[in-house]
Amino acid sequence: MRDRNVFEVVDPGLQTTVQDLGRPGYLADGIPPSGAFDAAALKLANLLVGNEVGEHVLVGTDPGAAGLEMLLVGPALRVVSHTVIAVTGADLEPMVNGEPIPMWTAVPVRTADEITFGSARSGARAYLAVAGGLAVPPMLGSRSTNVRAGIGGLGGRALRARDVLAVQPPEHRAEKLAWRRIRPELIPAHPSPARLRVVLGPQDHLFTPESVATFLDTDWRLSPTSDRMGCRFIGPALKFLPRPEHLVAQAGSDPSNIVDDSICIGSIQVPSGLEPIAMGVDGPSLGGYAKIATVISPDLSVLAQLKPHEVTRFQAVDPEEAEEIHLAARRIGEPDFLE
Amino acid sequence: MNADVVFRSLGELELCVEFGDRIDLALNFQVLALDRALKESKVAGIRETVPTHRSLGVVYDPALIRRRDLERLIVELVDELDELSEFPSRLVTIPIWYDDPWSQECARAHGVDNNIDFLAGANGIGRDEVISRHAGVLHWVSAVGFQPSTYQAVPLGEMRLTGPKYERPRKWTDPGIVCLAGTITSYYPVRSPGGYQLLGRTPIDLFDPAQRNAAFADGPVLPRVGDRHRYVPIDGEEYEAIRAEVVGGDYEYRIEDGVHRLERADA
Repeated sequence: MRDRNVFEVVDPGLQTTVQDLGRPGYLADGIPPSGAFDAAALKLANLLVGNEVGEHVLVGTDPGAAGLEMLLVGPALRVVSHTVIAVTGADLEPMVNGEPIPMWTAVPVRTADEITFGSARSGARAYLAVAGGLAVPPMLGSRSTNVRAGIGGLGGRALRARDVLAVQPPEHRAEKLAWRRIRPELIPAHPSPARLRVVLGPQDHLFTPESVATFLDTDWRLSPTSDRMGCRFIGPALKFLPRPEHLVAQAGSDPSNIVDDSICIGSIQVPSGLEPIAMGVDGPSLGGYAKIATVISPDLSVLAQLKPHEVTRFQAVDPEEAEEIHLAARRIGEPDFLE
Repeated sequence: MNADVVFRSLGELELCVEFGDRIDLALNFQVLALDRALKESKVAGIRETVPTHRSLGVVYDPALIRRRDLERLIVELVDELDELSEFPSRLVTIPIWYDDPWSQECARAHGVDNNIDFLAGANGIGRDEVISRHAGVLHWVSAVGFQPSTYQAVPLGEMRLTGPKYERPRKWTDPGIVCLAGTITSYYPVRSPGGYQLLGRTPIDLFDPAQRNAAFADGPVLPRVGDRHRYVPIDGEEYEAIRAEVVGGDYEYRIEDGVHRLERADA
C-alpha cells in the first residue's frame, strides 16, 4: 500500500505544523527536539486513530506518528479521501461541514468534507491525528517541523494554503476506529489558574533568596511574545546576588549573564531579571543567562496550553518527586486510556 | 583526577555536572574526559550529553536510572578520570571574508558604522591588525549549541583582541556571519538576533540537514567540541568562488585529524 492524499489545506490557520514526539539525540549539535509541545494530547489523538503513540520526549527514541499542531486559530482542511481523525488538546471548536464534532473521539470523515475550527475556547494548542499518520519524509529521525532551522514537516515550514497532506497506510479499518473515545476521567484537565511544577536550579543560587521566593509566590501572566522556542512571563523583576569579577569579564556585564551552559526544554532563563522565559520544545540547547528553575516534562503540556495573558504559578518540587511524577505521566497513551 | 563537581538540576530528565563557572581550557578538558568516560561506561538510561565550556549536561531516562544513582556513578567516574593533557582534535579550516558587505550593512542597520573599525578603536590598533590578530591564532571549540551548528571557540594562545557585546542586541544578523564577544568567536547559522561583534562572513556551510556533502557524513552539524578552527581571510572573489562550490555540493572541506595538548598559555 502506498501513501494516500487525505487533506488539501484551504486556510492554514495561525500556525499549523506537522509534529510527532520530536527529534532526540541532537542537543549537542544545537538541534532542539521539537515535536508536539503538548505531547500528551498528541499521544491520545494517535491512540484514538490506531497510530503508534511513540515514547516520551527527550528520553524516548520512537517519535510515534505525526499529526498536526494548531495554534489558537485552526486551519480549514478539505478531505480528499475518507479516513478517521481525532482532535485533542485545546478546544478550538472543531467542526466538520460546519457541525461541531466531539473532541477526544475518533471521527470518520468522507471525501469533500471540510474540517474547520471556530474560536479558542480553552487552551492554546490543538492536535489533529489521522489514521496512518501524516506522511512527510523523516529528517534526522523525526517528522517534526522546526520552523527556525527550516527542517522536518512539510518543507521545514508551517502549512500554507493549497498544501496537500498525505497519510501512510493505516493499520486498522476505519469502521473499527470510528467513535472510539478517551475515558472521560483520563482527559487531561487544565484548571485555571494554571500550575507549573518546577525543579529549582541550575542557577537558583545566583538569585537573591527573596527573589527565589518571589518567583514561587507570584501570579505570572503569559506574554503574547511567546512561541515554541520560549514562553515569556510578565511579573516582578528578580534580583541577583553580587558576582565575582571573572564572570563580569567572561560572561558579560549583565548580572544575569553566566558562561554558557546546557539548557533543557522547560528551563526558565531570566535575562536581566526581567520576564522569565520557559524554554519550549524548539528552544536553544545552550545559553548564557541564569536559569532559576526547570518546568518538569509532564507539565510542558500545561505550558503549551497557556493562552496569552493567562495566569500561572510555579510550584517547586524536589528532583525525586519530579521523577515519580514523570514516571506516572509516561503511562499516558497506553491502550487502557480508551473507553 | 582532582576535580570537584557540583550537580545542578535541569528538571527530571537532565542533570548538569558543573566543573566550574568560568572559561578555562583545563575545565573543558575535564568536561570532555567525563563525557568520554560516560559514553564508554555504556550505562543504561544515559540518552545524550551536552558538553559546554565548563559543564556537562546529561540527559537521562529516570525509568532506567534514577538521579541519585546517576550522581553516584558520575562521582566514581570523576574520581577515576585520568588527568587529560591532550585530546584528539580536528583542525578545521574556515575561510572568512572579513568586513564583508553583509556585515557592514547589518552593522549600519543597527546604528554602528562598522564593527571592524569599532574593534580597532576598542583595542587601540589598526583595522588590518584586528583581522590579523583574529586569524593569527587557532581557536578551540569548547561549546556547540543554541542553534544548529552555533559554536563558541576560545583562542589558543594570546589573541590580544576583545570585543564587548552590543548593549542593545541586534534584531537580526545574516546567516553565515562569524562574530566575536569577549575573546569568544561564534557563528550565526540562520538569520537571528544577536549581540556579538560582526567579523565577517564564511562561504562554507556548517549545518547541512540533508547531509549531502561528505564532510557531514557523521552528522548534520560540522562543529564539534574539541575541534580547532583556523580562520583564513579571503576576498570577495574567493568568497563567490567557494560559495559556488558549496552550493554545487562539491566543495572540499579542509579537516585534518590531530591532537591538542593542554598548555599553560591556553588557560
